[in-house]
Amino acid sequence: MSTTHEVTRLLAQWAGGNNAALDDLTPLVYKELRRLAASQLRKERKSHTLQPTALVHEAYLRLVDQKNPNWQNRSHFFGVSSRLMRQILVDHARMKQAGKRAMRRVSLEEAVSFHQERSRDLLALDSSLIALEKIDPRKCRVVELRYFGGFPMEEIAQALDVSVVTVRRDLRMAEAWLNREMQNL
Amino acid sequence: MTPERWAQIEALFHRAVECDASRRAALLDRACGSDWELRREIDALLASEASAGDHVQAAVRSELHDFGFSLVGEIVSHYRVLDGLGGGGMGLVYRAEDVKLGRQVALKFLPEESAKNPASLARFEREARSASALEHPNICSIYEFGEHKGRTFLVMQLLEGQTLRELLESSKSESSKSNSNAKSPDLGTLSLDQALDLAIQIADGLDAAHRKGIIHRDIKPANIFVTSLGQAKILDFGLAKLARAATNEGDEQDDERRDYGSTRQARDVLPFAIADPLLSRTGVAMGTAGYMSPEQARGEKLDVRTDLFSFGLVLYEMATGHRAFEGDTGPALHSAILTQTPVPVQQWNAQLPARLGQIITKALEKNREVRYQTVAEMRAELAALARKMERRDPNRWWAMTAALTAVLIVGAIFWFMGRRFWLPVTPSEARFLQLTINSSENPVTSGAISPDGKHLAYADLKGMHIKLIGIEGAQSIPTPETLKKSDVVWDIGFNAWLPGGDRFLANTHPATEDQTAWSSQTSSIWMFSAAGEGPRKLRDNAMAWSVSPDGSSIFFGTNKGKLGEREAWVMDSNGEQAHRLYEADAKNAICCLSWSPDQERYTYISTDDTGDTMLSRDRKGGPPTILFPPSELKKMNDFVWLRGGQLIYSLPETEGFNNACNYWTVQIDLKTGQRADRPRRLTNSASFCMSGGSVTSDGKRLAFLGWSPGFGTAYVADLEAGGTRIRNTRRFTLQEDDEFIGDWTPDSSTVIVGADRGDHYALYKQSLDSDSPEPIAPSVSGGLLTGAVVSPDAKWIIALVWPVSPGQAAGPISRPLPLVRIPIAGGAPELIFEMASAGPVSCAKAPSHICVVGELTADHKRMIVTFFDPIKGRGLELARVDLDRYIDPMVDNTFCVVSPDGTRLAMTHGPDGPIEIHSLRGQPTKTIRAKGLDKLFAISWAADGKALFVARHVRDGTELLHVDEQGNTTRLWKSLGPKCFGVPSPDGRRLAIYDWRRNANMWMIEKF
Repeated sequence: MSTTHEVTRLLAQWAGGNNAALDDLTPLVYKELRRLAASQLRKERKSHTLQPTALVHEAYLRLVDQKNPNWQNRSHFFGVSSRLMRQILVDHARMKQAGKRAMRRVSLEEAVSFHQERSRDLLALDSSLIALEKIDPRKCRVVELRYFGGFPMEEIAQALDVSVVTVRRDLRMAEAWLNREMQNL
Repeated sequence: MTPERWAQIEALFHRAVECDASRRAALLDRACGSDWELRREIDALLASEASAGDHVQAAVRSELHDFGFSLVGEIVSHYRVLDGLGGGGMGLVYRAEDVKLGRQVALKFLPEESAKNPASLARFEREARSASALEHPNICSIYEFGEHKGRTFLVMQLLEGQTLRELLESSKSESSKSNSNAKSPDLGTLSLDQALDLAIQIADGLDAAHRKGIIHRDIKPANIFVTSLGQAKILDFGLAKLARAATNEGDEQDDERRDYGSTRQARDVLPFAIADPLLSRTGVAMGTAGYMSPEQARGEKLDVRTDLFSFGLVLYEMATGHRAFEGDTGPALHSAILTQTPVPVQQWNAQLPARLGQIITKALEKNREVRYQTVAEMRAELAALARKMERRDPNRWWAMTAALTAVLIVGAIFWFMGRRFWLPVTPSEARFLQLTINSSENPVTSGAISPDGKHLAYADLKGMHIKLIGIEGAQSIPTPETLKKSDVVWDIGFNAWLPGGDRFLANTHPATEDQTAWSSQTSSIWMFSAAGEGPRKLRDNAMAWSVSPDGSSIFFGTNKGKLGEREAWVMDSNGEQAHRLYEADAKNAICCLSWSPDQERYTYISTDDTGDTMLSRDRKGGPPTILFPPSELKKMNDFVWLRGGQLIYSLPETEGFNNACNYWTVQIDLKTGQRADRPRRLTNSASFCMSGGSVTSDGKRLAFLGWSPGFGTAYVADLEAGGTRIRNTRRFTLQEDDEFIGDWTPDSSTVIVGADRGDHYALYKQSLDSDSPEPIAPSVSGGLLTGAVVSPDAKWIIALVWPVSPGQAAGPISRPLPLVRIPIAGGAPELIFEMASAGPVSCAKAPSHICVVGELTADHKRMIVTFFDPIKGRGLELARVDLDRYIDPMVDNTFCVVSPDGTRLAMTHGPDGPIEIHSLRGQPTKTIRAKGLDKLFAISWAADGKALFVARHVRDGTELLHVDEQGNTTRLWKSLGPKCFGVPSPDGRRLAIYDWRRNANMWMIEKF
């Protein structure tokens, strides 16, 4: 499949230091993640909460050439996917907020304000992450991989080349800091 | 921030988190020293640490959820998409608001593939519509079909609850959380009651569809919805076939055999799920395949019996928590369905009745010829089993019955009983504490104590007030601007306060509406703040019932039907996120939905033509428990639940006509409806009645609306402008007793006044010129007066006596009532005759000599009007008047009043009019047509015989009107009490007015 080749090739290029490859990779992965998110919801399950892990994993299986599985590729793909998930959700939240503002002109009754709250939460998390990245970039990556990519601790440790204990400590500190930051926004 | 500082913060943060909480402060003191900035930073991080991960995760998850439901926030046709509800094999479901109708609905988007075959789509639409057209309570209604950007969507009834699949899974996860390594989902079980209840409901829905020739073809737990109130609803009629046709791409045939081409087999059953490689890999797609019938697996032509097999599988799973057939792959499942016999249900659970096993086995026969042939057959056997189970457990006799009512207990207002029938007052214990001091001019109408016991919110005729309990005075809350122009009355319910004690709810009702006619259609829900912020409207066309104990949600009713509100809704405490929980059909109503204090169960009142029934139900589902059947509930003035199932309720005293009530309490097991102890009397009042109770959260203080029995007062006023205006109104009698006006003497100088003294009466003449009454019959025992009319020759006072003595509440109704004559100059009463029932008595003035009396026939459907003479007794029967409805003389009056000149009768066929003027001289009958001339209470003729004085009930009392023959009405008097009437003087210059009032105030009892 040409998309698969394309994604695999771009991943390799990006891993090789070509940052422009990421720009080409993004829309491909974005599209797939978005499609998957919708299709996941069709399943009959007890909980309709989407699992980022499943999404990213599924996107990987679909987009990356599986004939030559390559740990480097996989790690990179998951890394970029986690970041993309964050971007996708932030875009979505912004769009929704803009939509809400447009809607308010249509109707005074704001029956959907709960969603607005949610979007605000995500946007608050995003701007807190931006702040965190400036102070401690690794912690920002850990949070991305954990929450937007749904990675297990062990894989995060491997991807970032640190110990699991470090990941746990990073996460604990980052969460506390982000939570406080989000509440202050 | 420098990296060093950050590292310092992080290191100290971890040390603090890891050290024992008791030593943390010391550690920080030591480590931070005078670095207050550091200390503040660490403290803040520690404070936020606890649930930080959850917050971050929640922010991501909820956005991800919305992201998947990509239509949230969009407008689709005339629907505003509000929220993603979930998804199934057949597409995503959204909650949306119908902007045109203002109601919330569910939108189900069919997968894109379904649009490929327009013919199948049309057939599905037809089938789904015809199933929906059944309007069966166990079939989810489809309102409309639509298309949005090439995608077909269904607009469905929005249901609150969960699918049977979810219900089974949640009971499983509760029952065995530890056993998580099972390969296929090992489901939990419902209670047998619940399973049978749901099964019978599902069978009802299927039966209705089958009778119309509609086959479901995909009966499975995920297609059965169980509402929060335990109603089963079958979803997606006709959709299974559409799904199949869609993958067959153009293979549109009515022949089932073609649809189920034998080469396709399992792959066809859930094409959309199978088409998803993720699903096929994990094997989840086999879900539906697991509920196929053998003929479906073989790809044969289907009939209704396929649904019976699938239903049998559902029943199996409900009873045992296990699927009858399991298999990791489609072919394995197929083979199981075609060849294996499921494990007998008793092997899963030996407690299950053998009969249930037999029913399931018969439904699961592989050969459809030996299966149940109709769902009705199977339903009958399920119902028989359910009845048998009930008999075994006498406390569950009701489990399958749904009976019910809205309770608006309104004190019966009888005009005979209009005066003092109460017992001598025994002073009640000092525990009664009066909270408000409103006069009878402005009675309190409702109120509630705050959960912390600090505040009382109450409403009276002037508006809404808040008072600090224990402090004199109250603060009035200004009426919202938008309501200033409309005349509204506030009503505060028993669970009106939010738990924080800073906000409470109240409903507005139009002041023109009688309390018995209050309807959600004309009501609005408002939120008030104890802190003094202005009230805020939460919702129109709705009546709030209760606030949840945690303050997060509000139950309310909408859609008033014949018997009361038909829909139960919930919304959050900001008035948002409203959605419907339950809709009763046209013959039923629901009311007063409220959480138990522990929020584990809810109680509600269900109404049907048999009356009101109070039920309780577990929040997780299960059959409802009847707490009070109509016979008991109708006696109760109010009810307040305390934690642990203690109920407090006000009951009218059965002894004597004293209008007294008292609070009682009983411990009730909300699960079984059984009383855990004997009802215990909390108060001991002989002359006081109460309702509208509310309690503090500690259950130690009970506030309620208490009212004294009231008293009658006579006034006299000058009539002007042809009787259409009164002036110079003054108190006429000065006694403290309840006194009522009877009639005037012919010279218009004197009024006959009656006084009731509990078990005897007295008659007086009260001259307009004198302050002191002149006795006629100072103390007559043997009953109470219900009227006093001066005879045409002015020699007698004719009185109807209610032969009552205290403690004989039921007596008067069955006994004849003596009609007596008393010499106007004074003397003992003598019997004229006994009346068959209470009824109107009237006499013309001289020179006419006519008197008439109206009596009800034994069946209470007619009134017989008879002439009588004070001396000679009964005369000729004059007329038999058909009544509009059954008249209970304890509640309603009948009317037949002779005009002063004796030529006409003013009468009605019932209390709601219209008033007819019948001529005794052969003239045509005239009907007085006037708007709002209903709920009549009393009629008397104007002196000139050209108009009537009519008293009628209104929302907050009674009004006295001048009504002329053309139907022009003028209000002369407004009473806040339930009774008032007017009698004009024979010269037409004055009007004697009787007005009965009572005080109503908020009271409290403590430490009961």
